[in-house]
Amino acid sequence: MTVNPALVDDPTVEVTGVSKWFGQKVAVSDVTCSFGPGLTGLLGPNGAGKTTLLRMLTGLTLPSQGEVLVKGVLPRAKVERYRDIGFVPEESALYNTLTARDYVAYAATLTGLSDPGAAADRALETVELTDDAGREVGGFSKGMRQRTKVAAALVHDPEILVLDEPLNGTDPVQRAHLIKLFADLSAHGRTVIVSSHVLQEVERMTDRVIAIVDGKLAAAGDISAIRRAMSDIPYRVMVECDKPRDLAAALLLHNDAVSSVNITRDLIHLETTDLAALGTAVARQARALDVRLSKFAPVDESLESVFRYLVGGR
Amino acid sequence: MRAFIAIIRVTFSQTLRLRRAIGLLMLSGSAAGMYLLFMIASRRSAESAAWQREIAFETFIGMNIGVLMNIAVPVVTLIIATSVMGDERRDNTMSFLVLRPISRFTIGAAKVVAAFVEAFILTGIGTAAFGILVGIKIETFSYVVPLIVGTALATAAYAAIFVPLGYLLKRATLVGLTYVFIWENGIAAAVPALASLSPWRIGVSATAGLAPTDFFELVPADFALGSLSPGAGGALVKVLVLMALSAAFMSYILRRRDLAT
Repeated sequence: MTVNPALVDDPTVEVTGVSKWFGQKVAVSDVTCSFGPGLTGLLGPNGAGKTTLLRMLTGLTLPSQGEVLVKGVLPRAKVERYRDIGFVPEESALYNTLTARDYVAYAATLTGLSDPGAAADRALETVELTDDAGREVGGFSKGMRQRTKVAAALVHDPEILVLDEPLNGTDPVQRAHLIKLFADLSAHGRTVIVSSHVLQEVERMTDRVIAIVDGKLAAAGDISAIRRAMSDIPYRVMVECDKPRDLAAALLLHNDAVSSVNITRDLIHLETTDLAALGTAVARQARALDVRLSKFAPVDESLESVFRYLVGGR
Repeated sequence: MRAFIAIIRVTFSQTLRLRRAIGLLMLSGSAAGMYLLFMIASRRSAESAAWQREIAFETFIGMNIGVLMNIAVPVVTLIIATSVMGDERRDNTMSFLVLRPISRFTIGAAKVVAAFVEAFILTGIGTAAFGILVGIKIETFSYVVPLIVGTALATAAYAAIFVPLGYLLKRATLVGLTYVFIWENGIAAAVPALASLSPWRIGVSATAGLAPTDFFELVPADFALGSLSPGAGGALVKVLVLMALSAAFMSYILRRRDLAT
């Protein structure tokens, strides 16, 4: 039984002490984790090293140090292994002059399928692009382009699916459909690795998360455990009102939840570990002092700040 | 084999754009255009028929080497061959191609062959037009096929050189032009011993090997061929070896290096 939450018991993809640097820049630093059947979310802010790690998983990029094994072999060492891998890159990666059907059929041909046209039709149906199969992908919206790439990655029914920000540019309906598709694939024993910088997006897909920040493994395992680890992160809140000094003084005097206050013109910048208590206190003090509130908003709810906090706390 | 053909087919659709093709076709036809101007200008010449034929022949040789083989063929092939890999990199489609269970050599070989076929469609049309005009002027079409064979081999040799260049360098066209004008038209043209390293000379040696014997009556062999001997067979072997080396080199860098982005 594996104890390290970054590792799984029956891995199909194993990452051991992997680092990657480009000149002086370290993109990934000593990451050890593994992926098995089911869906794993690879979380992290933009520039965290997710794409570099995914490219190393597929063999597009070679690690500077460490080792990546896909079903026990280095992905580049045996090209036959690519029969087991489907990859959706973050960037466009489309032949704009081809129709969606030709593009997916091309993927099927290169994978050695006996009937590329039929396989392409099935894959396009899976991502609900049948009606647009005859159109050139160069004229597609971003969401349609994403779905075309997903179809090309799925056309040979791979055991391992690596998806780099696959929901970017998709509308809510398409997003829901793709999330269900990925969940179905993982339920059927596929190893599905999905990167995203949006926590809520990953939460809808899976419980298992690997979080990367600044190229390092920041957290791994059950998403609720990561949520708990985030609970003592101070929130930053901006309050706009007509009497900022009076309100700030009252909040500092009468509220333990406020850990710091900074005033600039009509704005108060507050830090708190208890957002709900702060909201109540601001409303109460504003009423008591007859302060007119025009805005109360969290300043920094980004995943980046959350993960930086996690890394900083180590 | 299906994968090999599919890569060639998609490479065509990706790189052979109409405006580019028209521009390159005009460049490819520059020797034919210039020869046509010469034909028009010499129409009312008072010189003897024998003298006119000699001038027509000299102009033919000069344009074949100076315009077609030294400029049109290498530049057209350069632009096509560097984009065969360069466009994959620009469009971020390399990952699509390499994450497939096909050998890296197949990818390299398909790209080199695609670059050759695509470039030869353009250089071949220009060469055929040139050969036909020459045939009309000198009243024999026996040079048309040798010219086309020479162009085909030179195009293939240039494609073998420029495909890896397009993958390795972002400014491949600029570097390729420097190669064409400094090496091909400068150093290799001036030093006969370097002829076997020069694709245009390999092409001309094939033309000379297939052409009627009067090909070198007016042109010194060392000027046209350097240290090479006339012969299409030897030229063909050299070009096939060069193409195989190019595909092997592409295969090596696709296996050993991070994917170019």
